[in-house]
Parts: sequence; C-alpha cells; structure tokens
Amino acid sequence: MTDARLRIFSILFGIFYVVAFYYDLALFRYYPEVSQFHWLRTDGLGVVILWYGWIATSALASAAISFAVPAGMAERFWPGWAWIIPTAVVVGTLIYERRWFV
Amino acid sequence: MIVALLIAHALLAVALLGAITHQALSVAAPAAHGRWTFIDRFRGVDSAAYATPVVVLFTVTAIGGALLYPQYRVDVRPALEDMQNVAANGVFEIKEHLVAIGLGLLPAYWTFWRRPLGPDTGGARRGLTWLLAVFVWWSFIVGHVLNNIRGLLP
Repeated sequence: MTDARLRIFSILFGIFYVVAFYYDLALFRYYPEVSQFHWLRTDGLGVVILWYGWIATSALASAAISFAVPAGMAERFWPGWAWIIPTAVVVGTLIYERRWFV
Repeated sequence: MIVALLIAHALLAVALLGAITHQALSVAAPAAHGRWTFIDRFRGVDSAAYATPVVVLFTVTAIGGALLYPQYRVDVRPALEDMQNVAANGVFEIKEHLVAIGLGLLPAYWTFWRRPLGPDTGGARRGLTWLLAVFVWWSFIVGHVLNNIRGLLP
C-alpha cells in the first residue's frame, strides 16, 4: 500500500467507525460471559461487546475504498485532511456522547 | 493473569504517554536557543525518532486494553451502573472511541513521520501528533480513574 493510500485509509477509518457505531454495524459480536463470537445478534448469551466488530467493519470498509481510489486521486489529496477530518469526527462523537452527562 | 495483564497494560501506557508527550511538545514550538530549561530539554528531542515507538506502543497497549475489555464489560460496568455512575461509563465509552479512531490514524501518522520529513506535511504531522496525544492522555487518565474508582468515590 502506498503512503497516499494509507493516509486515505486513516481518514476513512474514523468516519466508518462512527457510522458503524451509530448504526450498529458490527462485523461480529463477542459475548464475554460465554466466550463466543457470533456474526449476528444472539439473545440469551449475556452482555455483548460490539467494539471489536465496529473496528473490524471500519478497517475492512476503509481498506477496500483506499485500494479502490485511483492512484492519481490519492496522491492529490491535501495532507491537512489527514488530521482535520478525524478531528471533526472526534468532535461529532463527543457531541453525541454528551448523552452520558446530561 | 488478568492482574498481570492490567499492570503490563498500565506500564505500556506510561511509556506511550511519555513518548507521545515528548513528540507533541517538540512539534508545538522549537526549543529556544540560549535558554535550556526543563521544558526546553523535554521538547528538544529528535521528534521523528518517536514515531515508530509510538505506533508500536499504541498498538500493543490497545491490544492489551482489548484483552482486558471483557472483564470490564462483565464485572466493572454493571457495578458502575449499580452505583448509578453513568458519567463513569460515559468517559469509558469515549475512551473506547478515541482508541479505535487512534488505531485507524496510525498508518497516516507513520507515513507523515517517515524520513525524509516533507516540509509541506509539517501541519499534518503536528495535527496528527497532537490528536494522538489527546487520545492517549484521555485514555490514560480515564483508565486509571476507573481502575481506582471505588477508592476515589465516597
């Protein structure tokens, strides 16, 4: 993977992570009380961990797109977006997570 | 086993905190010539040399946290809910998000810090370094407060 593609991966990762988290798009689910992974929601197995699945979803989606972006377009990407877009993603996430403190 | 993992996770987090803080301060402003205070010495480091250790430490510490997470989800979180401590769960939830987003940022961070450092990418290096520093500080403080919450709260 070239540097430009790795940078696009990083920019997209945060966006896909927030989408996966908000819309509950975990690639898989882990049920720690029974130490089991499941692709789909499975009731009756106790608490569920979605975090691993959100990370896997966003990693796969951002890797697929960063590979698909034409090399020329990837090279032209302004470097500043690599931190400005993730910062905006974090601010959006913090605004959403205010729900815990009100 | 879980206690050993928790201690290893905390020690790795200390190393990561030191590395990213050195680097973040070094890119904030160049060390002043002539004066040589503690702060100047702290930030007067070879910033690029910290990039690979930060990537490795961030990844390994996050993996350690991921291994500890089931214990938190099964034992600690329900206890916090019983204590009606919604805010404690909220700050941990934010930590989860920041660590995940930080993991995703590591490839870009690493490419921008690879030598030779491009003069046109200084802003991106600074922005990503500070972003990761904020994530690490938040995660470190939240992790330690939650680990000791029974002793900290009345």
